[in-house]
Amino acid sequence: MKFAHMADCHLGGWREPKLKELNNKSFCYVIDYCVKEKIDFVLIAGDLFNTALPDMESLQVCIKQLKKLKDNNIPVYFIAGSHDFSPSGKTMLSIIEDAGLGFNVAKGEVVENKLKLKFTIDEKTKVKITGIIGKRGGLDVQYYQELLREDLEKEEGYKIFMFHCALNEFKPKGFENIEGMNVSYFPKFFDYYAGGHVHVLQKNSLEAYPNIIYPGPVFPNSFSELEKLKHGSFAMVENNEVKHIPVKFHETLSYRIDCDNKSVEQVKQELKEITNTDLSDCIVTIKLKGTLSSGKPSDINFTEIMNNLLEKKAFVVLKNTSQLQSKDFEEIKIKSENVEDVESAVIKEHLDQQAFGQEFTQKIMQALSTEKQEGEKSADFEKRVIEDVEKMINN
Amino acid sequence: MKGIIISGDFENICIRKKSSTFIELGELMIAENNKGKVLLQVFNLAFGSQLSQQQLEFISGLKIEESNDLKLMDQNLRNYNLAFAKSLLFIENDVARACKTLPGFFSEVREVRSEDLKFLSKPENALCLGDLRSGSQVLDFPLFVDGKKVFSHHVLISGTTGRGKSVLMNNILWGVLWDDYCGLLVLDPHDEYYGKAKFGLKNHPNARRKLVYYSQNNVPIGERTLKINIKLLKPKHFQGVVYWSDAQSQALQSYYKEHKEEWIESIVLEKPLQVSFHEATLSVLKRIILNLLNLSVVENKIQCKGVFDLTVGETTIKDITNDLKNKKTVIINTNNFNSQVELLIGSIISHELFSESKENNDTTISIVLEEAPRVLGKSVLEKGNNIFATIAREGRKFNIGLTAITQLPSLIPREILANLNTKILLGTELKQERQALIESAAQDLSKDDRNIASLDKGEAIITSTFTKFAIPVKIPFFSEEMKKEEKINKNFEEMT
Repeated sequence: MKFAHMADCHLGGWREPKLKELNNKSFCYVIDYCVKEKIDFVLIAGDLFNTALPDMESLQVCIKQLKKLKDNNIPVYFIAGSHDFSPSGKTMLSIIEDAGLGFNVAKGEVVENKLKLKFTIDEKTKVKITGIIGKRGGLDVQYYQELLREDLEKEEGYKIFMFHCALNEFKPKGFENIEGMNVSYFPKFFDYYAGGHVHVLQKNSLEAYPNIIYPGPVFPNSFSELEKLKHGSFAMVENNEVKHIPVKFHETLSYRIDCDNKSVEQVKQELKEITNTDLSDCIVTIKLKGTLSSGKPSDINFTEIMNNLLEKKAFVVLKNTSQLQSKDFEEIKIKSENVEDVESAVIKEHLDQQAFGQEFTQKIMQALSTEKQEGEKSADFEKRVIEDVEKMINN
Repeated sequence: MKGIIISGDFENICIRKKSSTFIELGELMIAENNKGKVLLQVFNLAFGSQLSQQQLEFISGLKIEESNDLKLMDQNLRNYNLAFAKSLLFIENDVARACKTLPGFFSEVREVRSEDLKFLSKPENALCLGDLRSGSQVLDFPLFVDGKKVFSHHVLISGTTGRGKSVLMNNILWGVLWDDYCGLLVLDPHDEYYGKAKFGLKNHPNARRKLVYYSQNNVPIGERTLKINIKLLKPKHFQGVVYWSDAQSQALQSYYKEHKEEWIESIVLEKPLQVSFHEATLSVLKRIILNLLNLSVVENKIQCKGVFDLTVGETTIKDITNDLKNKKTVIINTNNFNSQVELLIGSIISHELFSESKENNDTTISIVLEEAPRVLGKSVLEKGNNIFATIAREGRKFNIGLTAITQLPSLIPREILANLNTKILLGTELKQERQALIESAAQDLSKDDRNIASLDKGEAIITSTFTKFAIPVKIPFFSEEMKKEEKINKNFEEMT
């Protein structure tokens, strides 16, 4: 038996056109690899798309690739992740399922106020697959808290559990502030735990929980991920042997410049030195950090510097100056670069002044933060948002 | 009326008991004078008689040898009981202050009533420690202390086995879970608080939100497997856990300096050092580390068999300190560990907690230590300082305290014992232990030796810089009937 496990494709996630295209290209590469290797099935553990209703271009790429898998008799099993989940249930994932291009395995029923999950059985291999969707702000924990585990654990045969959340025991250093779940919430004795959400490559196990795998994102989804991961990846599983397969089209070169006590001229000089490296076809990331001894960040002509780097045939150049400051602005401290974290912190801070809880607030915010999609009429968009919110209020 | 005051002095007020009433050791009583009320506590009881000892012996002889029906005329006038009490407080218009006066001669003494104790109002961050007790009679008067203050200034819970230390701790932990004023770290060597197979803290309505439980094996659903990444360890964490020789200690520091967070791996894999050490020193170092951390080396690769791991648990310590700062109760089941591993885990967390509290001490945090003399004992501290002793001495400045539990307080140095500002004394038979407690109490307990010795199961005396007097309490039983579970709303939308 041979299957592929990918997660966090985040199709449509990048705004930068070249990286957006590269993201799509990485996804296509994984699917083509699966077809070439004639694998039995594909698992997508959440966040196939970056939003519940993705842009047409990403959608087109995705549908084409999923069709390719279908034509080659390779079924796709997926769960919704924190990005492509929608409280109304109106997501592109449900359309994919309706079109017969994939199976949502996060299905269950309520039995005596508990959640009973159903297995989806792969016809060819008889592998039994189930899972739980991921939701923002760790709101999926309730499903785990009320999960009926006994039947799942007793079920015979090769079993796969799909999840989309961070696991506290395996959180890497630097992920301390990410909301995580304890492994003990999972049903025991599955053969493979297919994870997503945390963009890391991990292969772990704990007592009664073998093969807890994070495949990494198919393509890095942010500046810091490009710095850290350099390229995308997925997991290939053959006879229970797990291998992380890299998805790499370009070298990623990351530069970090410590600007503490340096003048603008000194920083410019250091930036200039980057051009001495062979940057051909490379993704270049430059992070500037610290407090300048004189001058302001705006005194550095980044456009010119980036153009110079592109002239050196760099594939794409990205800069991050969020932690660069001049002495005049030293008192400004950025606590978090992540919008969701800031939102969560604000909600928590004002919880006692609200009539409703954190979960409800986050759900409402999530529903209201949805964007009008390409081709969607304003009236339809308005109607969709109202319906989503109404549904939540009535529940 | 229980009796009248007949003689004595300020510290030793003699009361003649009314024959029809009942007075016990430790009983609280009220004597009034024209200005207010004096709160008294009985510390001794004696027989009194108008007859001489010779006459008493003669009469008793007649009763034994001749006629059992023999009765004395005006028996209650001739033979009686005397109670000896000390003045605790002077109460004037529901305000209590130190007593500096005597109650009136022949003034009546009566039992204490709830209305006399209005000065014991419910403080901010109220933590209930039990019901007020007068002798063995439990009053319908819950006693609260300010949990935030009490925890940051250290707590000692002392008593012989079976007198209720665990029940008290269970009640305290349960009480803390209702509120949001402090974080508690509990190193639980007997796995008795969470309630894995019985009623326990897991049943608290706030448990999901406020209780975090770590265990190495058989982890209950939703709780966390204890794994600590060895990269998180630092040489200072071993202070008070392993007693290194000077050479070993220097080698340890050299490894840390050269190999940074990979220092443990470097020791175990015998990586070279720039500074040379004797082979035997390094070999002992390696052996101790391998044993303590339950590691082994196979084909020059480290295999982890216990809590300490090479790949997982990278955020465990930070997660614990964050939870404590978020005012949660973190229980670590150390049941499966030997004492040294348990102390090492406690030491790692306490070191990091203490360092963080020095930077930011907004939240009060207390570390609950069972069998405290293991880390705070004189013999232990003679070998070298450890983080727990440091916290005992300096912690309150940084809002971090200890809750030390022991049956042998005399093993703790006097200086540290005196720093534990709230002491909850349960029944203690050993004179030596009572003496250590009396000498370090926040109030004068010099006359309470007998009182402490006579404390029954669940009876305690609370002496604290945050209470106006040493307060006798009865600790309620910890059971399911007393702590009812709350229903939680469930919602399964999007999964069905």
